[in-house]
Amino acid sequence: MTPRTPAPSGQVGRSVPRLEAVAKVTGRAEYVHHMRLPGMLVGKVVRSTVAHGRLKSIDLDEARKVPGVHRIVTRDDILKVIPDPYYGPAFHDQPILAIDKVRYVGEPVAVVLAGDPHVAEQAAQLVAVDYEELPAVFDEVEAADSPVIVHEELKPAGTFPDLKHLHGVRDTNIALDFRLCRGDPDKAFAEADHVFEHTFRTQQVLHLPLEPYVSLAETNGLSMTIHTASQSPSFVRLEIARLLGWPENRVRVQVPFLGGGFGGKLYIKLEALVAALALIVMRPVKIALTMEEQFYTLTKHASTLRIKSAVSSDGRVTARECEIWWNGGAYADIGPRVSQKSGFTAPGPYDIDNVKIASYALYTNLPPAGALRGFGIPQLVWAYESHSDLIARALDIDPLAFRRKNLLRNGRPQATGTLVQDMGADACLDRLAALMNWEAPFDRGTSPVRRGRGIAVGFKASISPTTSVAVVNVSADGSCTLYCGTVDMGQGSDTAMAQIVAEVLNIPAETVRVVHSDTDVTPYDMATLGSRSTFHMGHAVKLAAEDACQKLEALAAELGVPRGRNLPTRELFLRKYKMQAGNIIGTGSFIPPYTSPDHDTGQSDNITPFWMVGATGVELEVDTETGHVRILKMINVADVGRSINPRIVETQLSGAAIMQLGFTTTEKMEFDAGQVTNASLADYKIPGFLDLPATTVSEVVDTHQRNGPFGAKGAGESGTFGVSPAIANAIEDAVGVRITSLPITPEVVYHALCAARSEPIED
Amino acid sequence: MKVSGQIRVRAPREAVFNALQDAPFFASCIDGVRQLTEIDPAHYNAILETAVAYMKFRFKLLIEVTRKRPPSELEARLEGTALGIVGRLTATSTTRLTQEADETNIEYEIEAALTGKLGSLGQPLLRSKAKEMEREFASRLRAAFERTPEPPS
Amino acid sequence: MTPFEIVEARSLREAVGMLDPEDASVRPIAGGTALMLMMKAGVFRPTRLVSLRLVRGCSDVHVEADGGVRIGALTPLATLEHSHAIQHLLPVIGSTLRMLSNVRVRNVATVGGSLAHGDPHMDLPPVLIALGASVRVVGRGGERVIPVADLLTGYFETQLATDELISELIIPRQNGRRSAYLKCTTRARHDWPTLGVAVSLAVDGDCVREATVVASAATKRPMRIETLRTLLVGQRPDAKLLRTAGEAAAAALTGELQGAAAYMQQLVRVYVERALRQALNSEGGALQ
Repeated sequence: MTPRTPAPSGQVGRSVPRLEAVAKVTGRAEYVHHMRLPGMLVGKVVRSTVAHGRLKSIDLDEARKVPGVHRIVTRDDILKVIPDPYYGPAFHDQPILAIDKVRYVGEPVAVVLAGDPHVAEQAAQLVAVDYEELPAVFDEVEAADSPVIVHEELKPAGTFPDLKHLHGVRDTNIALDFRLCRGDPDKAFAEADHVFEHTFRTQQVLHLPLEPYVSLAETNGLSMTIHTASQSPSFVRLEIARLLGWPENRVRVQVPFLGGGFGGKLYIKLEALVAALALIVMRPVKIALTMEEQFYTLTKHASTLRIKSAVSSDGRVTARECEIWWNGGAYADIGPRVSQKSGFTAPGPYDIDNVKIASYALYTNLPPAGALRGFGIPQLVWAYESHSDLIARALDIDPLAFRRKNLLRNGRPQATGTLVQDMGADACLDRLAALMNWEAPFDRGTSPVRRGRGIAVGFKASISPTTSVAVVNVSADGSCTLYCGTVDMGQGSDTAMAQIVAEVLNIPAETVRVVHSDTDVTPYDMATLGSRSTFHMGHAVKLAAEDACQKLEALAAELGVPRGRNLPTRELFLRKYKMQAGNIIGTGSFIPPYTSPDHDTGQSDNITPFWMVGATGVELEVDTETGHVRILKMINVADVGRSINPRIVETQLSGAAIMQLGFTTTEKMEFDAGQVTNASLADYKIPGFLDLPATTVSEVVDTHQRNGPFGAKGAGESGTFGVSPAIANAIEDAVGVRITSLPITPEVVYHALCAARSEPIED
Repeated sequence: MKVSGQIRVRAPREAVFNALQDAPFFASCIDGVRQLTEIDPAHYNAILETAVAYMKFRFKLLIEVTRKRPPSELEARLEGTALGIVGRLTATSTTRLTQEADETNIEYEIEAALTGKLGSLGQPLLRSKAKEMEREFASRLRAAFERTPEPPS
Repeated sequence: MTPFEIVEARSLREAVGMLDPEDASVRPIAGGTALMLMMKAGVFRPTRLVSLRLVRGCSDVHVEADGGVRIGALTPLATLEHSHAIQHLLPVIGSTLRMLSNVRVRNVATVGGSLAHGDPHMDLPPVLIALGASVRVVGRGGERVIPVADLLTGYFETQLATDELISELIIPRQNGRRSAYLKCTTRARHDWPTLGVAVSLAVDGDCVREATVVASAATKRPMRIETLRTLLVGQRPDAKLLRTAGEAAAAALTGELQGAAAYMQQLVRVYVERALRQALNSEGGALQ
């Protein structure tokens, strides 16, 4: 290994095959599901059957009779080990087990512990819980004014200083009310040539990684280790430490690989529960949820979005007003941040001087909603890009031309007032138009099957400010190890980080060993979410590698080695320590600059360190006799800065688009009285191979994020942004009907076709 | 889940009302009600045993008559738990009787919900059963009035 | 899942003996793909399962001298899917199986099991009805043969007694009849059918001699639409007739359709017309 040379050594930008690929496909990769500890008990959760109710009593008599039951734990047991058992990243509103009330069907009420999971499951069916049922509220718009109150008092966590003002607020379901105002929207609306207003809706869906939530805790009473499938091990550590009243260094969190996360495995899911259980029984406790139970754990916000634009007769948008109701479910989780951090992008990547945004995070009696790939952006893009096409068509302007006329370009202010930089919306649209052959005439067909095409472009701001720390360890033989808290959940982060280290140290990426999250060893990382890791952890890793480099150079100088001599590393150690011994440890820590927005106006001169852009174009067929939609071509173009690993970036884009395709056409959580009625993959359909478009193209534009590591930035979510509205726009192009609510099913399309013919069908 | 319908029986309204608000008679019109016991004139316990094909279900029920306005209106509430599996059944029913010549028209509206494990994956199964029980109830009720001019009071 | 007992039979007769005519919580299990879903959902809690896994001699496809086909009840669907005889004589079965569930399920699920299950949302039963198939059933009292059209009686209900098993599926010689099956799904492509339409036609020159049209999935049990026989037989199958047939089918099924009535009627209208067209355009199975 030689110290860094100015010429690129070719590790970054190379499509290195994933470092863990062979282990994963040969079944050797480690997951928490495989773990068994001596004396371990398995827990099965007893869940609420009432959407909203006071918890009166729990009868354990019948359940205790099942042979093999070790213990059944309820709220009283939890309170003995954790007197204040409420957790959450934004609000401390979620109890480890229900205490006084239950707030959604499926909420954990008790846990049966046994050595045999089948025994635990059988006993769990026999626990009898008595509730005093209360009225429930399910709709987000209704919840804003409803007399039915889910939480009597708001309990901000203190983790985010900008939520402090909510402390003590009572008797409302509005957990957060985010506002932004720029310019003079009222005046612009009054003076506008045209005003367009539309309302859109999205449905509740969920992540469904193939590995459901699983956590295992073991403790000796003085320290605790939690093995968990989590994207945020550092947060788990500090939150468990807080709940137990222990210093951080007595809580250890270990994460091997995740079988998918997509934003579900964040903050606290099962960790607090297994920690409390382990303390109660003083044996290791593992809880692994079934596929069905995922439906009761975390979901994506359903939403209602109202968007209004003032437009001049030549198609310039002079003002935009956005009002969004986010259905947060029974517990806040990270919902308030979705309302706020995505809320400020509600007007879209457009250059609009006068903007007003109101974004409300609502509590309802449904399973909680939190982060899901896109973090609220896909819902916003669904609204503003459907709205864009409706305006363009009404004014008889080509949809692409309309977008180009209003697009936000580098150097101009976004709705928060921050001047955007390295935001490639124009480059993405241009490339998309070329790949779609947009300028060429398009044959829509004449038969019962009609063809159409549509485009959409969306963007996202990286959540800020967040911190990442990394350590690079060079051993005496020159081999290199990276300690990094970023969790590889299938997005290829191990490989990307190895490539960054390798680029700096001028070694092959395949030789870098990446140590997985172990908070006793790997340093702090905010979390693996929001496409932040390539940028933030990438910087920290790069700094750590550079630090190691500098230390090696200093060692060489100390040993009197002339500059440029290129002595092998192992030789340096040998000369220093007289044998194969010692380490060189490089550290790096990164937090980007940030300006907190004004509380009333939402304005800031530095709201985010980088913007992500994703554009999608779709060509499809509509069977006008049945409403079936068949996607012929789906083209995704994104701005990810420089691709650290082009092959992985491509699969991240197509994977994100396919996931969003499911949310657009086939997925919906069905409810009856707050009970999920399709809680299984047999009845909740995610896309399979036969659902893929005939042709899928995923490309990146050639850009450089000037403040990113090697010019790179996030890529994991960009493929989700434009999919839904591109499809709705293509359907309108094909058959002239506008769908404003997701999912777009054949029945919905058929109803719209009948209504458009003035032959509405009743059901 | 909402179920609503109409049943006509050849009997005067007062007689029909008396029959419907007589718990043992009412229970006899539903297939599978066992061990009906009165707690007080407005509250009853019962066991409901039902099956869809080879799949059997048992529910422990608490029934409350919430409103009685003779001879025209009857409202009841039902709450039950499944035995052996987590499942909570709730239902509220509203019944209105109108006299039409020598017949009584019974209009009913039932709102039912099934939650818990049984409600999660067993929903379509029990919905089809609900429809079947509705048909069975109607035919038993009609038959009861055809059998005797005055049903038991 | 509640603990249960499992016993393995080595012959159908032994299996019948292990079943209890009075106790429905003792149930046979073949491939188990459907039964396991019901057990995981908690809606079926057996006390004993009688596994047919080790039963020999019931998983073959025999072509009879008269051109009919007999298929052992324990034949996995994948075997049928890849059978040359079936592809040759009954191509509609192969094309139906390719859209049925997924390859992992087809490797394990059996013909007999899929018929005995009685779930209205299945692809194979309407096809078998259109082909005029029957099942041979064995029980304590002996054997009987039941047309598949009569076997399925309702929601998860069949004519089978609690201690009876299907031993084989009998498909008569098709005499050049042309058949087709169209599956309508409204979510993922890989999904339960929202509506299934199976059609079998005998066409002589320019004239329909026989017509069987079966609708399923949207109804509680697969239903032969009898009025279409009158409408189609003796007629020249042109576009107008097919359209009329679709409309007549939708009218005939009013009241039987589960789900959103008006949309389901439209699907019936369209899929019956398209299934008839597909059958007419297909090659009949090789004549015997």
